[in-house]
Amino acid sequence: MIPLPNECLFEIFNNFRTDYKFLFSCLLVNRHWCRIIIPILWSEPTDSIENSKLIRTCLLILNSEEQAQLIPFKIILPTCPKPLFEYTNYTTSCGYSLNDGIINWLNENYLYKGVYDEDDYNYDELVSAVKCSLISMFLRTSRGLKCLCVKGIIYNREIKNLYKNTTITTLKFYFNRVDYEGIKALADTISKNTSLTSLSIYQLGSKDLKMLAEAFRKNVSLISLTLCGINIVNLALKQTKH
Amino acid sequence: MDNGTSNSASENETITLKSCDGIEFHIDARIANRYTLLNNWNGGESACIPNVNGKVLEKVLEWCEHHINDPQLNCGDDDSRRRNTIIEEWDENFLSCDQDMLFEIILAANYLEIKPLLDLGCKTVANMMKSKSPEEIRSAFNIDNDYTPEEEEQFRKENEWAEDY
Repeated sequence: MIPLPNECLFEIFNNFRTDYKFLFSCLLVNRHWCRIIIPILWSEPTDSIENSKLIRTCLLILNSEEQAQLIPFKIILPTCPKPLFEYTNYTTSCGYSLNDGIINWLNENYLYKGVYDEDDYNYDELVSAVKCSLISMFLRTSRGLKCLCVKGIIYNREIKNLYKNTTITTLKFYFNRVDYEGIKALADTISKNTSLTSLSIYQLGSKDLKMLAEAFRKNVSLISLTLCGINIVNLALKQTKH
Repeated sequence: MDNGTSNSASENETITLKSCDGIEFHIDARIANRYTLLNNWNGGESACIPNVNGKVLEKVLEWCEHHINDPQLNCGDDDSRRRNTIIEEWDENFLSCDQDMLFEIILAANYLEIKPLLDLGCKTVANMMKSKSPEEIRSAFNIDNDYTPEEEEQFRKENEWAEDY
């Protein structure tokens, strides 16, 4: 084979960037192709893939602090060798399928194996704990993260540093329950983060929404804002210029 | 959008391009205006294109001539162009050549920055790889496997989520 330069190989693989099966076959061809394909393959898998095997590999990338957050929930993490790549370095979008992928992983590793009985614990809490550790990991490792979707319970520790993030331009929150500290962290992000251009919030369950109204007043970067299923009176939007 | 007919060169104007092995081609000046071939044209009577031999340049120019009236895409259309994986019949026949020539055309299109031809070549190669196992791809393109068995197994396991999609 006449050797093609990397930019040509990149074009070949990038033509089929969401054909994961094709990329999987190609990355196993040799090391050179693998180095080109991994950034494409791992760019946005959690946008559409709810696969427990994807979650298993992501869990291998947790650091000791992120692992420690799961100790109270007695979650047994996979014990494979350290991954050959820190795959999530290349992730640009942490999508809403992450949540369903976690549910599938927990079902396969705990529920179906009879490790837990469904009535023994709050399943939502378990899903949220894993999601919180994984989102912390994505925020730590994904150097070009552009989009973050968070579905379900939001923990303060998960989003407390979001206001410092300089790469995320799109934030989406779906059906979230969040406590006072969480709302405070969200308000901090809205008021201080200057790279954020698009924010969508669907069904935010909290009584402390006035803090968000003040944050929207201070925000200077948002171009698109979607609010759905939020009590406008609580948000006190009338007092804001938005 | 520029429809390709607004180039400053007129229909009858021709320029001469010379391949790296000295073969001359007299081409419609609008082709040179349209692609960065022009960058290699010194404004004189002929331009010499290094790195592209006569056999390959002939194929590249044949493609350019056939597509001279195609609408020119803006930079912002890059993504939509790339994601469109359908190849027209003429292009498919055009690239039904031996593998070495196909790769030479890709290299030349990349060198001469003829983006639509580069995309076409890349899509054609990708189509040749589709539905093949890693071993079949290695064999089709004569590529050596430099993984250790352990390494290959670990890559397989860490990325096997992709196998089902």
